[in-house]
Amino acid sequence: MATPTLTRPAPRATTANGLKIRQPRKKLTVGRIAAIAVAAFIAVLWLIPFAWATATAFKTETDAAAPDVTWLPPSGFTPEAFVKVFQDGNIPLWTWNSLYTSAAITAITLVISALVAYALSRIDFKGKKVLMTVIIASIIIPPPVLIIPLFYQMLALNLIDTSWAIILPQVIHPAMVFVLKKFFDQIPRELEEAAVMDGASRLRIFTQIILPLSRPILAAVAIFVFIGAWNNFLWPFIATNDGNLLTLPVGLQTIKSAYGIQYAQNMASALLAALPLIVVFLFFQRQIIKGVATTGLAGT
Amino acid sequence: MSTSTLSRPRPENLRTSGSRTRSNLSGWGFAAPFLVFFLVFLVWPILYGFYMSLTGKSLTGANDSLIGFANYAEALADADMWRSLGNTLYFTVISTVPLVLVALVMAALLNIGLPAQWLWRLSYFAPYLLASTVVSLFFTWMYNPQLGLINEFLTGIGLPRVAWLNDPNVAMWAIVIATLWWTVGFNFLLYLAAMQNIPAQHYEAASLDGAGAWRQFFSITLPQLTPTTVMIVLLQILASLKIFDQVYQMTAGGPGGSTRPVVQYIFETGFTGYRLGYSAAISYIFFGLIVVISVMQFVITRRRSA
Amino acid sequence: MTGSALLGGGLLAAGLTGCGGAAQAAAVQDIGFWHLLSGGDGIKMQAMINAANQANPGFKVHPTVLAWGPPYYTKLAMASAGGRPPEVAIMHASRVPGYAPGGLIEPWDLDLLAENGVSASDFAPRIWEKSQHNGKVFSIALDSHPFVMFYNTDIAGKAGLLAGNGQLQEVSSPDEFKAMALEMQKVTKAHGLSFGYLGSGSQMWRLFYTLYKQHGVDMELTPGQPMKVDREAAIESLEFMASLFDDTIAAQAGDISTGIAEFARGGSGMLFSGVWELPTMKKAGIPVDAATIPTLYGTPASYADSHSFVLPRQLKLNEDKRRDVYKFVTDVLKGSLSWAEAGHIPGYQPVVQSQAYRELTPQIHYANAADIIAYDPESWFSGSGSDWQTYFAENVQNVLLGRDKAAAGWDAFEQRTNTLLSRPNPV
Repeated sequence: MATPTLTRPAPRATTANGLKIRQPRKKLTVGRIAAIAVAAFIAVLWLIPFAWATATAFKTETDAAAPDVTWLPPSGFTPEAFVKVFQDGNIPLWTWNSLYTSAAITAITLVISALVAYALSRIDFKGKKVLMTVIIASIIIPPPVLIIPLFYQMLALNLIDTSWAIILPQVIHPAMVFVLKKFFDQIPRELEEAAVMDGASRLRIFTQIILPLSRPILAAVAIFVFIGAWNNFLWPFIATNDGNLLTLPVGLQTIKSAYGIQYAQNMASALLAALPLIVVFLFFQRQIIKGVATTGLAGT
Repeated sequence: MSTSTLSRPRPENLRTSGSRTRSNLSGWGFAAPFLVFFLVFLVWPILYGFYMSLTGKSLTGANDSLIGFANYAEALADADMWRSLGNTLYFTVISTVPLVLVALVMAALLNIGLPAQWLWRLSYFAPYLLASTVVSLFFTWMYNPQLGLINEFLTGIGLPRVAWLNDPNVAMWAIVIATLWWTVGFNFLLYLAAMQNIPAQHYEAASLDGAGAWRQFFSITLPQLTPTTVMIVLLQILASLKIFDQVYQMTAGGPGGSTRPVVQYIFETGFTGYRLGYSAAISYIFFGLIVVISVMQFVITRRRSA
Repeated sequence: MTGSALLGGGLLAAGLTGCGGAAQAAAVQDIGFWHLLSGGDGIKMQAMINAANQANPGFKVHPTVLAWGPPYYTKLAMASAGGRPPEVAIMHASRVPGYAPGGLIEPWDLDLLAENGVSASDFAPRIWEKSQHNGKVFSIALDSHPFVMFYNTDIAGKAGLLAGNGQLQEVSSPDEFKAMALEMQKVTKAHGLSFGYLGSGSQMWRLFYTLYKQHGVDMELTPGQPMKVDREAAIESLEFMASLFDDTIAAQAGDISTGIAEFARGGSGMLFSGVWELPTMKKAGIPVDAATIPTLYGTPASYADSHSFVLPRQLKLNEDKRRDVYKFVTDVLKGSLSWAEAGHIPGYQPVVQSQAYRELTPQIHYANAADIIAYDPESWFSGSGSDWQTYFAENVQNVLLGRDKAAAGWDAFEQRTNTLLSRPNPV
């Protein structure tokens, strides 16, 4: 947290030259003041929706719906809306659903992607070129195109309204395979050759040499996949209807009808739903930014 | 780009055919778990979806028969499909421009070396961590015609109220603004990473020549960023084409279908209207469009880098 | 719950059996119940659910509320197709033709109903007839909720429009109705009638179909054939509607809530609205009475629909839960007097015939609607909250706003409908 420098897109990013030590432009010139002003202006604009949601969430419903739009409500601030939302009891359930499905998606994605990436990077096998081409080509398949056949498939497998319907179709990330393969390509082969001489199996080399060296990229991929799964709306929305299975984003969509026009409660729910990732971000800002910057350009 | 691994010398090459077989085995063995998922949940749906598009399949199970390309013929004559495709393309165009430009401005500002970097990053990037539903709740509330913060501000400075999500001429722009707020942080991070990778020597040389910050930005930073910009634009176009969440949540496609994107039309024909086969056909038309756009992008980038 | 089972190893076994959680043989059965009732209706429904839960320690009904209209019906169809839907759900009777033929909902067992003390004779004939599809009973009507006319007795009295019994004078032609509205306008100085419709196909349709049916004509939607409709009657109805929105009789443009708010603050003498707005009017404290929409074209008719209970298709039917559902539904029917307080006409006749109901005003003043109600023409795509009503709005709104000719708007809607009818029937 203390030094939130943006680390370069690992791993090949060269040595330590020139990242923060650029010109000593620390003088407060007119230009810099203007830049700070513009940056601050944008930052304020960007924070307003959060602030307004927070202000609303802490109002009474009456104040929130009062025709006088104001930041400071006449009856003062109250946690009433949050209490109501918690009594209603759905947010913790939805959060839990999001957490375990996203964790499962991330875990499965990491394992299967790292395995195949290793094969593509290191093992010379028949059909590898074709496999590589097919995986890369599949990057352009947009998930929304698949909703109809996937839904039908889940119907056929009797998985609609189970957690599996949420998890299984979300573990294929061809772009992440590609990111991992590129990383593995840059790990020096010499490290493995000694192990090969000792007669170590492929799997052992993979788990004991490659994986430990790949922690940063694995973390980056995990972060990217997790955020995507946590926030995914379309597929979980299609795959589940059962109130007990809804993930946060999907569950949140139902509150407007359940509460009607309870603005304070709507905003309290939205903020509670936003909270987990924002808190995680505050603690792991550096890793998350790095992770997104690393994997981002590979495509989503 | 995929061939680089093949050119390297490998110890295996010298071994016997037995180890060759073993290589094949372990290669496919490592690939197997991914392949299973890949085949079952990506390849099969893609193929099966095409088959579905040739049938009258319905959500209720009625009408299973093959009907050839009748769904495609119907779709090509379906004004609603064209309208929704048009909405998607319109959104893609009017969202991509600000999503790239604002991200560039944000990154450029920070790259000057402002103090408290984490604060700026937090405020610009934090919305990206929100689920679409949260963003939609926030903005639906701010766009509220009577009680919304935005109209309150507008009337405060003497401007008329805007019906935002209820005005067919404005609704799509309202969606774009919400989307800009939500996802620009992602492009911003990519730009910032790329800017910080520009070797300092470039700037030092320019400084010696007496080039100011402004000129340095246009003569060094921007040109150096070209590959990044191209990638960001490509990714943004592909992301924008998939628009569904915000629209479905904020306007449900309205008013009067003026914001309904093609993904929503797919959803509605398939699930609300039961017609899975027809909706699969529309999916494929949409997919075709994406492939065409991707190929165009690929050709353009190839030409640029060549 | 399911989640922890999933994470804590045993992945496939736990997951593939899906939700459900730990089996509770003797414990309380959890009954899933979906409905689309929000606002005052939602609160009343919750109270009825609580009452049923309290009276039946053997089960607990868990309601899930989804947004009215397409979101609700889409999800209900998807859940039923998936085979793990709620045990029971509310459906507008007009939507049953879109769900029953494809097997998305299952018929009710009349014997089981009888065991719980409910039978065909407990429902008005028109409503019982509507609950059947191909000879089987697919929906059990909780109510019928017609589209009616609320009026402000104070304003009507000042305009000299009240009859001897204290109720609004009868009018029997479009011109008489407009004259009456103009009299009220003189009292309010604002409008005579409130009717908000902007952006709501359902709302436009409710008034339109009432007027259309008053012509004594039918409308039929048969897949593969053009729509059977009396074009003249349709256009005449639309023209009459458009003529009301002249900013004197009624506001030219306004949405539903604007119309309701106007009437609730005394800005007009009459409101065309669903009966479900009654609690809002009572809460507003205005002197309100109600009647069916005046018969302006000769035949009494009143657009209505019924909130009905349906049984979504279950992949694995739990007989015990099914029995609990019968108990729950019949309990709610028998306790539907509180539902009547929300304005609806109970479907269960013993309640309607009870003294307590007879004492409810103004409900009793439009209870006759149950005999003249007109449900939507049947098809897989029509009914309350359907896309078809949205298409109606898309083609007709400009007519009501005075920007388009009634004939043009109607013909466009008819053509849109014919396109739907020409497409393969998916159910």
